[in-house]
Amino acid sequence: SEASGGRSLRADGFGENPFYHCLVAEILPAPGEPLGPCVVGYGLYYFIYSTWKGRNIYLEDVYVMPEYRGQGIGSKIIKKVAEVALDKGCSQFRLAVLNWNQKAIDLYKALGAQDLTEAEGWHSFRFEGEAMRKLAGK
Amino acid sequence: GSQVRISKEEEDLEVADGFGENPFYHCLVAEILPAPGEPLGPCVVGYGLYYFIYSTWKGRNIYLEDVYVMPEYRGQGIGSKIIKKVAEVALDKGCSQFRLAVLNWNQKAIDLYKALGAQDLTEAEGWHSFRFEGEAMRKLAGK
Repeated sequence: SEASGGRSLRADGFGENPFYHCLVAEILPAPGEPLGPCVVGYGLYYFIYSTWKGRNIYLEDVYVMPEYRGQGIGSKIIKKVAEVALDKGCSQFRLAVLNWNQKAIDLYKALGAQDLTEAEGWHSFRFEGEAMRKLAGK
Repeated sequence: GSQVRISKEEEDLEVADGFGENPFYHCLVAEILPAPGEPLGPCVVGYGLYYFIYSTWKGRNIYLEDVYVMPEYRGQGIGSKIIKKVAEVALDKGCSQFRLAVLNWNQKAIDLYKALGAQDLTEAEGWHSFRFEGEAMRKLAGK
């Protein structure tokens, strides 16, 4: 699908130097069933960098279709990201959660993540739109 | 007085991750240029290290990982110049926003970023940064 702002998810993810990578969770058909594998979830991530720790991964999106939740698919996606991260020499991977998304918070904590905003006081800041253009002198 | 120039770091450093064919990060440096007649070359007094990130909603973005100005050169607007240059680079590269992280006790940085027009998303929208690392991460990966 096309991302807003005129950028193509297809071009950005599947060219020579992709901006992101995506894992998909597929349900495989039972033997004899005519249908092919069916994608029911995904994990979109990219590589980031820390001057202290070197290469890291940032997990931008985790999604499982509502009818397939509660089966551990989200956990499998996150475990696969951890595996990819270690294979690629990353010492950690990060993600963001909204503070009212209790299900996600509980899942990530159960899997061993630490809330850095709570533990260390990190806040996410953003420049965008008019403020950003003004800053750039454009 | 001396001028400050913000430019892309071009030196051949040993850090392969920044200077290979597909660098993991990019770095702007702030240099003090010598006054006319002075024998010394430009002197790096600060830097801004950033990389490209991606949002499924907004497309390409920049993440400003590090901003640093040597203590003796602070209070002169160099940090602001670095951030403005990052905004310029971001727009030139088709990014609709750029992000950064601040510690909640770093009042000077918070005041600077807000004065320059940034929004605290943790405060405004409730975003929390989570991290997997070390033993917990290896266990997760089954390694």
